[in-house]
Amino acid sequence: MDSRGELAARLDACQKCNVCTAQCPVAKVNPNFMGPKGLGPDMERFRRGQIILGETTLDDCSNCKTCELTCPSGVKITEMILEARRAVSKAPHKNTLGLKLRLRGYVLGRAEYLGKLGVIWPTMTNQVLKIKLVRLALDKALAISKSGPLPAYRKPLEVRVDKGGKIRASVSQQVVYFPGCYTRYNEADTGRIMIKVLEHVGFKTIVPDFHCCGLPLEANGQFEKAEKNGLYNLELMRPYLEAGIPIITSCTSCGLTLKEDYPKLPTTSAQHVGAQTYDLFEFLWQLYEKGELPLDFQEVKTSYGYHPPCHLKAQGIGIPALRILGLIPGVKIRNLDAGCCGLSGSYGFKAEKYDKAMKIGSTLFEAINVGAGRGDFQAMTTECGVCKVQIQHGTGLPTEHPVLILAKAYRLY
Amino acid sequence: MWDAVVVGGGLAGWIAGIRAAQRGKKVLLVTEGVGTLFYFSGIFDYGDVECLRHFPKHPYTLFDAQAIVQGQHFVQEICPDYVLNDTPQFAFTVLGTVRQGDLMPRSMALPDQQEQGEFVLLVPEGLKDFFPEIVVDNMAREFPGWQVSVKRMQVDALAEWTRLGKNVSSVDCANIWRSEEGQRALAHEIEEIKRQYSEAVRLQGKVFVVLPSLVREYFDSSRTKSFRAEFSLPVLEMSSFVPSPHGRYFAEYLKHIFTDLGGELMIGARAVSINEEPTSESQAKVCQELIVNSMGKSLRLKGKNFILATGGLLGGGIKVGMARQSICEGVFDLPLFVPKEWSEPQFFAPQPFALIGVETDQFMRPLDPASGQVVWDNVYVVGRMLAHWDPWTQRCGGGVSVTSGYAAAELV
Repeated sequence: MDSRGELAARLDACQKCNVCTAQCPVAKVNPNFMGPKGLGPDMERFRRGQIILGETTLDDCSNCKTCELTCPSGVKITEMILEARRAVSKAPHKNTLGLKLRLRGYVLGRAEYLGKLGVIWPTMTNQVLKIKLVRLALDKALAISKSGPLPAYRKPLEVRVDKGGKIRASVSQQVVYFPGCYTRYNEADTGRIMIKVLEHVGFKTIVPDFHCCGLPLEANGQFEKAEKNGLYNLELMRPYLEAGIPIITSCTSCGLTLKEDYPKLPTTSAQHVGAQTYDLFEFLWQLYEKGELPLDFQEVKTSYGYHPPCHLKAQGIGIPALRILGLIPGVKIRNLDAGCCGLSGSYGFKAEKYDKAMKIGSTLFEAINVGAGRGDFQAMTTECGVCKVQIQHGTGLPTEHPVLILAKAYRLY
Repeated sequence: MWDAVVVGGGLAGWIAGIRAAQRGKKVLLVTEGVGTLFYFSGIFDYGDVECLRHFPKHPYTLFDAQAIVQGQHFVQEICPDYVLNDTPQFAFTVLGTVRQGDLMPRSMALPDQQEQGEFVLLVPEGLKDFFPEIVVDNMAREFPGWQVSVKRMQVDALAEWTRLGKNVSSVDCANIWRSEEGQRALAHEIEEIKRQYSEAVRLQGKVFVVLPSLVREYFDSSRTKSFRAEFSLPVLEMSSFVPSPHGRYFAEYLKHIFTDLGGELMIGARAVSINEEPTSESQAKVCQELIVNSMGKSLRLKGKNFILATGGLLGGGIKVGMARQSICEGVFDLPLFVPKEWSEPQFFAPQPFALIGVETDQFMRPLDPASGQVVWDNVYVVGRMLAHWDPWTQRCGGGVSVTSGYAAAELV
């Protein structure tokens, strides 16, 4: 039995070394934030004594999970903070947020409904969101920053399931794709290319009508709804999971949620979801190692800067995208690894957090600007949709999902 | 298939990873957290190499003198700010006392005690765990012929912290000193000191500004520093409390050198076990795959060679159960040398448990202490995991880690 794992689950594993706080992107820019050690393991002792802090304090955590990755003792710091937020949201005495911020949590947590609304008439939504007065109204009414880089909406990604939901006999050649709200409603073209790539490498791709993975809900304090979404999605996945069909994600935050949170949900299909969920490139790398990845690449003569999203790091799978792109002739990639972009889901959209988010991202922006200025690369690439939005907002450099580079090499795009 | 999979992201692991990548190998470095370099003072201790090389079974006995020098040159090659002198070098600790070191950044090395001059300790307001009165006393004691004074400074970027009465760590300070704005503020402050001490500068010509953090732009981990403020007086950096800015930025710097050379970092993944290739009884085993716990599933990492750099007791590479009923190495379950006596009553005496670790052949391959046979043919043990040395009383932690990491990279 793994004694370290048991220890880590316990509070006492924290040795108070403060490395997590030294690495925390939020603590660096926000003196009011007591940092992961303070808010996680330190305050946990008070919480055990039933002293419940206000949610606004807990709410400063951006949920990027850098502290968990950093910890030399494997303490689940972000998890502790999330648990505390969950406890506050259930607390009888409403030591919680005012109506405005609760309403904002409701709106920002529902990336999916926003998406569904946004894509009814994307051009109109986008035009409306560009009107300064509208953004000012959102800022005043819902404390959604008027400067935040709200992504544009486009025609949504189509659902693709076989009639009757039957699974074909040759199950090994099918995958289920979990696109996530950003790909589905804001960047469906990338999703379509993703499917083309999966089909090119020999996999029939099924896209059930999933709900939002639940991460934005959780990050905005909507814990019950997050769990409901998880259970709903697991139910949709059940037949595929039971047939051993892999679930592919292209959004690193959805991927992390499926791998980290879903296995804890109270349903039988939760047992399989962790082991059967793959980041797209993690999946492709596995094919490559088995000698099953088609290598019919054409040369792609472009240089990119690469930003590893925090939630990719948290998956503990390294950077499989760079391994795959490294196989394509001509592609040059510089891994910047210059820290969190600052947006962290919907964190940077919040009025009181916008400036902090931009400050957090400044190290990354600087690295991008200097690298691009020196001519090391002409564009950026990163798996995460909101990192992409923030990078474009902070630097103006075009940014795309790495699958587009692969699609170019396969002549699919 | 990787040419080398390095397990562990401390000093030995990074050195091994960087050198192997530099030699054109495909290298993956797997680490659970950020590694112990965050507690590194910035100074490498080699200890009394000649003496230790004659200590029975000490890791230095695995290497010739040339290999040890090669490691030192490698550190200088990746960070040219490290200087190596024939005479011993000294630096200020965070308490203002003086400690010896073998390889340290130029900006930490102290001037000659025999000379005369003046130290001005420049302290940012609100610096955590830093007590200028004690530091100044110690500095004056260490440098009897020197004048020592304190100057406090307000840092604009930290105004909000000061207003809240909140302390600032030396890592936060280093972060500010490394920004363009911070460099300008510091240059301005130092210019002010120069004016104030113009008499002393004129008379003695030796006024040093001492700062309790990392100041200079070496370890430029973002590789973006297009500016460099010129300070009008020489600046000396002290070491810091942990987590230390020298350690943090050095770790980041090594990471970027490694990834720029094409190495891949897999953080947040814990190595748990291995799969071996079947071999006949008498032969050493060949490791094929390392199994790591990623989020949600286990990954199998195929490699030709494996470098074990998971640290010792403190780093988490060696696990000790309750009442020492089990003592084991956590990845390969390698046989360990465990001294008969665990500890000595005198706290500062050499402690037997410090010697715990893996015994190896001259190529750093693990041995079975009972039979003396090599256990794994393609596994190399480096750094703190090696048996028969004590970093605390022998003061050779940096030396053993750099030398063994470098040497292992030459073997893969």
